[in-house]
Amino acid sequence: MNQTSPSRLIGAAVDWVEARTGAIAFIAPLLTHHVPRNAKWWYVFGSATLMFFTIQIVTGVCLATLYAPSAAEAWESLRYIDEQVPFGWMLRALHGWSSNAMVVMMAIHMLQVFLHASYKFPRELNWVTGVFLLFTVLALAFTGQVMRWDQDAYWGLGIGASIADRIPVFGNQVRGLLLGGPIIGGETLSRFFALHVFVLPGAAIGLVGLHLALIMKNGISEMPKPGETVEPATYRERYEKRMEKDGVPFYPDAAQRDMVFCGACLVLLVVLAAVYGPFGPGGQPDPTLIDTNPRPDYPFLWIFGAVSLLPPASETAVMLVAPLVGVLVLVAVPFLSNAGERAPSRRPGMVLIASLAVMAIAALTWEGKTSPWSPVMDGWSALPTPGHFIDGRTPLQVQGANVFQFAQCRNCHSLDGLGGERGPALDAIATRMTPDQLMRQIQQGDGNMPAFGRNLDSAQMTALVSFLTTLRPDFEAPAMIPGAQLPLPVRSMPGEVTTPVAAGTR
Amino acid sequence: MSVLRVGFIVCAVVMCGASVLSTAACDRLPGRPAVEAVAAEGTAEWTTQVFNTSCRGCHAQGKEGSAVPLMDSEYWRAATDAQVVRAVLEGQGVLMPAFGPAAGGPFTPSQANALASGMRALWGGGLKPSTAISGTVQAGSADRGKSVFETACASCHGSAGSGGSAGSVTDPMYLRLISDQGLWTAVVAGRAALGSPAWNMPMPNRPSGLASAEVADVVAYLSSLRPRSASELKP
Ligand code: HEC
Ligand code: HEC
Ligand code: HEC
Repeated sequence: MNQTSPSRLIGAAVDWVEARTGAIAFIAPLLTHHVPRNAKWWYVFGSATLMFFTIQIVTGVCLATLYAPSAAEAWESLRYIDEQVPFGWMLRALHGWSSNAMVVMMAIHMLQVFLHASYKFPRELNWVTGVFLLFTVLALAFTGQVMRWDQDAYWGLGIGASIADRIPVFGNQVRGLLLGGPIIGGETLSRFFALHVFVLPGAAIGLVGLHLALIMKNGISEMPKPGETVEPATYRERYEKRMEKDGVPFYPDAAQRDMVFCGACLVLLVVLAAVYGPFGPGGQPDPTLIDTNPRPDYPFLWIFGAVSLLPPASETAVMLVAPLVGVLVLVAVPFLSNAGERAPSRRPGMVLIASLAVMAIAALTWEGKTSPWSPVMDGWSALPTPGHFIDGRTPLQVQGANVFQFAQCRNCHSLDGLGGERGPALDAIATRMTPDQLMRQIQQGDGNMPAFGRNLDSAQMTALVSFLTTLRPDFEAPAMIPGAQLPLPVRSMPGEVTTPVAAGTR
Repeated sequence: MSVLRVGFIVCAVVMCGASVLSTAACDRLPGRPAVEAVAAEGTAEWTTQVFNTSCRGCHAQGKEGSAVPLMDSEYWRAATDAQVVRAVLEGQGVLMPAFGPAAGGPFTPSQANALASGMRALWGGGLKPSTAISGTVQAGSADRGKSVFETACASCHGSAGSGGSAGSVTDPMYLRLISDQGLWTAVVAGRAALGSPAWNMPMPNRPSGLASAEVADVVAYLSSLRPRSASELKP
């Protein structure tokens, strides 16, 4: 009887598997390895990051079964997931919020490691794999935003493409590689889909494995104490001794704390998802839906803010060079100083650097949230030229207003306060610029304004400039007396650009 | 340790509760996206939405907007739906963009049709296209048109090339930017808010407006003044 009791059977099965795989022998030390007793709540952030990553994989796999990665259907398929699929919206909300939470948790984890100088000997490579993980996760967030295939996705891609464009010599090739062609199209989505579901998750899983293996190899760092310095020659020996004497097994002592924290994070995540719902999809490039002001997702808002503050001339340098410098500096951190004091109180410079970085990113994120960087995409087709800029103009000038809409100047320039804010308002431009200057500005562009020289023929250019020369506060429409014979051949010869005064009078 | 245990249990309970709750109440949670209220194609709401995002920037009403105001009834008196659909799908002249699938635009022919009849219902004033004049450009004689222009139009627009109180419509630059159909619409519908008379309104020497043949003639005249290529524009 005893021979066939259920517990005996299970035990036998486990033994059978264990004899062939050694799985328990492999896992047991992972659970029971000793960690520093004083490693209290400080050390939960890494585990929480790992938990969010796991959630991303689970929800991501579910979403991949529902999502249609084609330019024509992507946006619709998200609406379908939101509206038709049971729990579909919840799935999207969890995936979106957990992605942001993971980035935040990673940042906190990194900050903690930086402040406690846990990256010093022998854990330099823990830090380096962590930095690579950070960039992989940011890349996942970026490609994930593209999956929504809405206006925000276009914005992100546009910026990506313009960064690629600025690379000297190979700009065009890199852009082509990124977008799968010269412009953002169906190819682009397929490309980013492959990155988002195969390449980057693969890389992330590999890096997570490496990161964990390094943690097992080097042990979890003890809490820093002022005066207790890291000496590479003796560190390992001292660490081992201390763990034997003073350490506690990871499971259940430290693991419990991780679980409580992760549980709390999970609750928060579910609440956020339930209350605020999924991200987007925002306005799709479809005329039947009102367009939104495109913004990148949270992890990138600060870049958006930085771009809006940059003087146009420095943009190329900063957009190209800054990310490279960022990676290099982060990777270099443990090699610049891998021994000595670890306590924050003995490293005031580092504490200062960390707090400056946190403040800068917070301020730039705020700037990005509120900056008027982005053009109003449908300004040209949605915002009519106000009546007082039409009334009293010649037919040529009214056609000039048509050119102004047609060439999408309105997407970046406002009239009467409506329109894009990328460039200055043009309500009174005739008081600031002569016709020649206007012509040059439009033909050659300037800073962030594209050059229209090749897109406008001479008639369009003449009409446009003639219209712009009437944009001034003191422009007065001549009194209209229907049928009156006015001996007023004031207009100059066709083909000539008229001066503001002559163009205003008829 | 006991604090930890308690925290652990509390968390577990809250999580179970949350998942049960969200399973049961998934449809009523605040985060659930509202089902997108896309107006059905052809309704007045749909027409307004489409028009406001895609057309209003150029075709507004009264003095507002740089191209023919589609929100005023003037245009709809002579224009037919077929003409509107063609303009939307294929574009017109240099400055009216094509919105049809052939141009990579967003509108299918059926959407263009729905838009045309929707706009007429909203702004056409309940009128059928006039039988007194065609909505589309008709052939005429440029020679006769010249004398129509000198007598009926020159008082406002000046004789050839000179412009007048209303500005030149014979300026080659201007004519390069507007199609014959655009000229036809300008003469037929006029633009009352700017003081531009419709074809059948009183004009100098034409107390009861133009005859429909005179409209064709004067448009033929203006068309004959248009330079055929950009190089002709160079002084
Ligand atoms: C992509 C956005 C963008 C578009 C589209 C655009 N501009 Fe600009 N424009 C700018 C920016 C930005 C400036 C500020 C100058 C600079 O960056 O050096 C500017 C400056 C100008 C100025 C000078 C204003 C001043 O006060 O100095 C004029 C005039 C102007 N634009 C006219 C036009 C016209 C006409 C068009 C359409 C043919 C047009 N712009 C299209 C972005 C744009
Ligand atoms: C009572 C004065 C008056 C008379 C008469 C008149 N027009 Fe006009 N016309 C105007 C005004 C005012 C405008 C609007 C100016 C503008 O669009 O810039 C205008 C505009 C036009 C336009 C330009 C429309 C556009 O959208 O580009 C054309 C073409 C035109 N008129 C042709 C004619 C022709 C042909 C005649 C004669 C049959 C004529 N007009 C008679 C006052 C007049
Ligand atoms: C960029 C400005 C612009 C936008 C946006 C625009 N149009 Fe036009 N449209 C024009 C101009 C300019 C003309 C006159 C072209 C010509 O004849 O040379 C015109 C002509 C037309 C005509 C023909 C009038 C005639 O002569 O019978 C119709 C109809 C029309 N548009 C409808 C629309 C509709 C519907 C939309 C929105 C889907 C739209 N347009 C969007 C500029 C625009």
